[in-house]
Amino acid sequence: MTDIKDTNVHFHQELENLERKVLSMVDRAEQMVEMAVEAVVNGDLDLADRVVERDDAIDETYLEVHRDWTTLMARFQPLGSDLRRMTSLIQLNVTFERMGDQCVNIAKIARFNDGLPRVERMCEQIREMGDLVRPMIRTAIEAYVRGDLDEARLLPAMDHPVDRLNANMYKETVAVGSNPALLEWATKMLMASRALERIGDQAVDFAEQTAYLITGERAEFVEEGMASADGDPD
Amino acid sequence: MTKEQVTGEMADIREPRNIQRPEIPQHEHVSTDAPAAMRTADMSVYYGDFLAVRDVTMEYAKNEITALIGPSGCGKSTVLRCLNRMNDLIPSAKVTGEVFFHDKDIYEEDVDPVEIRRRIGMVFQKPNPFSKSIYDNVAWGAKINGFKGKRADLDDLVEKALDQAALWDEVKDKLGDSGYSLSGGQQQRLCIARAVAPSPEVLLMDEPCSALDPIATLRIEELMLELKKRYTIIIVTHNMQQAARVSDKTAFFNVKLNESGQRTGYLVEFSETEQLFTSPKESDTEDYITGRFG
Repeated sequence: MTDIKDTNVHFHQELENLERKVLSMVDRAEQMVEMAVEAVVNGDLDLADRVVERDDAIDETYLEVHRDWTTLMARFQPLGSDLRRMTSLIQLNVTFERMGDQCVNIAKIARFNDGLPRVERMCEQIREMGDLVRPMIRTAIEAYVRGDLDEARLLPAMDHPVDRLNANMYKETVAVGSNPALLEWATKMLMASRALERIGDQAVDFAEQTAYLITGERAEFVEEGMASADGDPD
Repeated sequence: MTKEQVTGEMADIREPRNIQRPEIPQHEHVSTDAPAAMRTADMSVYYGDFLAVRDVTMEYAKNEITALIGPSGCGKSTVLRCLNRMNDLIPSAKVTGEVFFHDKDIYEEDVDPVEIRRRIGMVFQKPNPFSKSIYDNVAWGAKINGFKGKRADLDDLVEKALDQAALWDEVKDKLGDSGYSLSGGQQQRLCIARAVAPSPEVLLMDEPCSALDPIATLRIEELMLELKKRYTIIIVTHNMQQAARVSDKTAFFNVKLNESGQRTGYLVEFSETEQLFTSPKESDTEDYITGRFG
């Protein structure tokens, strides 16, 4: 058809409203990562409490989005790229909710580790992981908003140093020796490292969803780019 | 109506004169691994000098449900009606190209259209039971197709057809009641029983649920999924969700205006249903299924 107009205006307006609501969580998610890392690295218990409060707000938005999303699906039963966009939105909603939960997990470690001895080098690694993970969230969302496949494909390479630092945290934990207090502190920091690594993975997963939204084909990212989901990812 | 009877000359059959043929994009369509129950090759349909639908080449896989969707006037019902020569009943209708059933072009001169309609049954938009008993509605199809068995055999045939149409349990105690005494959904299932009674191979369904409520629609859809084990089903539907729910493959037809303002339908995309409704290959399909369509 040469003269294309949107005859489903109402649905597309509501879809945009829902999208705005989901995307409003990106700043909060980034800030929560930053706050959780600072709380656990500096042992700042007030900051840790504020992370938990912020997660409550994310959970509230998550439930609102879920309700609106269900209503839109029931009313309009979208298909084609609209269906893929709706699928992306619900995954993004879940992604933000889980990122919030991971930040709460990190923040809680600040309280567990209160008063224990610490290894500065491991704190620096956690801080570095936080600095790497926050741009991953931003990049994944920007790729979605712009519909930019090349930008989405950047995520595996961005995730690689996060995985490497997480693996290194195991070595650092083993290296703290037999001091029980230090070992307890390091083990908890390993959990914080794992939570940051998961946030990175969630950003990669969402970038894969964005690629599906753009191309209509399911594919799993590998570091070089994309491999077909049907084929061997190796 | 055969092609020869319509035109008398092969040249005219292939391309009626003075018809403006709009340029349409050519696309590759899905080819099926399953054996085809029917297929069309460059099938075009004219009503007089009006080219209603052009150059449809596609296969209908055996024991699958194929849905035909598209905007009003795209020719999907016209295509359906050509598959059992129902368009013969319209004097001005002409069909060019080929419609194969068991590798035989059903429009060849030696083909009996009545036999074609027995083997390729049809269910219409509005339930249209005859003004007869429930029993006779179903037995009628067998009788006009020369059934000469005993009454007991006919009873068996009626029960089997009603059972296949998931209606037997609801009507077995009132087979003598009028077909009109049934609800709309039951009437449509009665029509399906009537269609399957002569043991067809293909069932054509022209918007079979458009006059039914959602519960009756659900029952027909479930019935279709059951019936496809025995029959090949081709359904025209305006309801995209219905096509998405029940069909294995979906064909999207669109319509194009020529310079004279005539609207000609054509096949845009024919794919696996999941592919067509989640990631269509053609932008026209995407625009239609997402409601971005002038």
